[in-house]
Amino acid sequence: MDDAMYMPFFYRLLDPYLIWFYRITGAALVDFLIGTLWLASLALVIGEFTISLAFLATKPRIDRATGEAIKYQDLSLQALACGDQKAYAAANKLANDAFGKSFFMQVALSAAFLWPAFFALAWMQCRFSEIEFPLPYTVYSLGYTGVFILLYVGAYLLFKRLKPKLPYFRRIQTILNDYGRDTWRQEDSALT
Amino acid sequence: MKKRRLLFLGCTIFLVALATLVLACPSMADKLQEAIAKTPQGEGPGMINPSAPPGFMGIPGAPRIFWLWTVLWGIWVGWIFSSVGAFGGIMAGVGHITVFGLADYGKTFKNTSPELNKLLTDSIRVCNQYLVGLSSLISSVTYYRMGRLVLPLGLFLAGGGILGAYLIPVLTAGKINLSMYVGYFGLVVFAVAFVLFYETTPKGQERKKAAKAAAQAFEAAHIKKTLADQDKLGEWARGVHVKHWGLTRVVFTFYGSEFSFNPLWPVLGGFAIAAISAFIGVGGGFLYVPFLTSVAGLPMFIVAGTSALAVLVSMITSIFTFMFVKSVPIDPVLVGTELVGIFIGSILGPITSKYIPEIWLKRLFVVLAVYVGVGYLTKGFLGYSVVPGM
Repeated sequence: MDDAMYMPFFYRLLDPYLIWFYRITGAALVDFLIGTLWLASLALVIGEFTISLAFLATKPRIDRATGEAIKYQDLSLQALACGDQKAYAAANKLANDAFGKSFFMQVALSAAFLWPAFFALAWMQCRFSEIEFPLPYTVYSLGYTGVFILLYVGAYLLFKRLKPKLPYFRRIQTILNDYGRDTWRQEDSALT
Repeated sequence: MKKRRLLFLGCTIFLVALATLVLACPSMADKLQEAIAKTPQGEGPGMINPSAPPGFMGIPGAPRIFWLWTVLWGIWVGWIFSSVGAFGGIMAGVGHITVFGLADYGKTFKNTSPELNKLLTDSIRVCNQYLVGLSSLISSVTYYRMGRLVLPLGLFLAGGGILGAYLIPVLTAGKINLSMYVGYFGLVVFAVAFVLFYETTPKGQERKKAAKAAAQAFEAAHIKKTLADQDKLGEWARGVHVKHWGLTRVVFTFYGSEFSFNPLWPVLGGFAIAAISAFIGVGGGFLYVPFLTSVAGLPMFIVAGTSALAVLVSMITSIFTFMFVKSVPIDPVLVGTELVGIFIGSILGPITSKYIPEIWLKRLFVVLAVYVGVGYLTKGFLGYSVVPGM
């Protein structure tokens, strides 16, 4: 029985193109890994692209929210250095409030990074829901989700190194690097 | 820096391995298919018609949610996140429970297929958790990179979190029916309504004004002096240094000041926060920071980075459990389309916030929260909602 028959229409359109990467070598395990790595990489790149768009669109607001958190955070540290507990408590409270706003702003943005992964998993659910890789000497097994997540993490680490070499992402990385330098104080960690 | 990263990585791996061993269980046949197989077949309420088109989670005859509605609801959730904050997670839950009709569908199986009823409850709360929790993870990692870590605090918090993330599913997975879940969700909504309401009252506003005045007074009087004082402190003093590890007291210095905490507080806090997140499917990461700054009086600068460890560990634990155990199924298309909506909403929020004062938004959400809270509380514990539409 062809599992593709039970797919939603949107996936049936994409299925021939997605499954192609799972039929390259003819060796089932190798093909599954190659295909899933390709799918994970595709989800990752699309996610990186959409979060960059969201970041560029909301940068002024992010700057305001994080700027306020940093301002009061720095003030609380200065009050600590001075030994002024009252000022420290006041500034720390304001930093806390500002942190909340900034945090949720970034939570919303993170959705722009994650959504392709769930669509990829949904397609894999239609195709590979019965696949299990038993773990040796244990009673546990790894399903399609586990393989996808592991390869997604690997693809992320690889893409992190490739980003500075790719035109659009290089520009975004430059903006992010400048953003980090301008908005956060750089301190050498003494915790080593 | 390298030593710190290795230590952090080592502790994280240890905690995750421990949590996975505790949480994982032998793989078994798909729970959803088992529950469906045990459900009576037919076309009435509480029955499954195998020839019906698949809906939510691929269950034949389940609600088929048109993708546009999930995107639109996601826009609403994302707009709230980027305008006000925490209430977005609650609204994500309201979508799953009420707007998409999943709770009412699940309730039909209360007597005919209690296993499916409880599986749908668990699925709804895991969908809530993944929708908000994964995004919190990314946000927390950002703050970890920028902040500072107090390792003992992070470990105790993470330990409490793992305990909460373990005990709550063990005690409640497969045991909570939808009505009870909706009732408890209503209680949490009331708690959020109370916090939001307090922030809009004159007393709540006064506290913030007083803090701002104190901070500005300090800034005006001391800014030049503090920069000089800071330089005198030296690089070493500006870092976090743990002076004493103990079962009843941990002491560390930061910026020339000494801080201490009883490890019991972060363990209990981590447990409570992870328990709420695991049980209801909302909350979690963002609660650690106000908990640690308010209860333990710790600087936000180090709390933000430290809490990231706890969020990282609990989310990795959840993900590993999901990877290794076919425990609770979720509908990835539902979550994916909602995330698209949240992404769009995150862009709209900053635009509209220029025109709508925050305090009026909070007042609107207080009204919504009370309405939803009353509806869910009565629906959950009385069997019917006293307000329409819930």
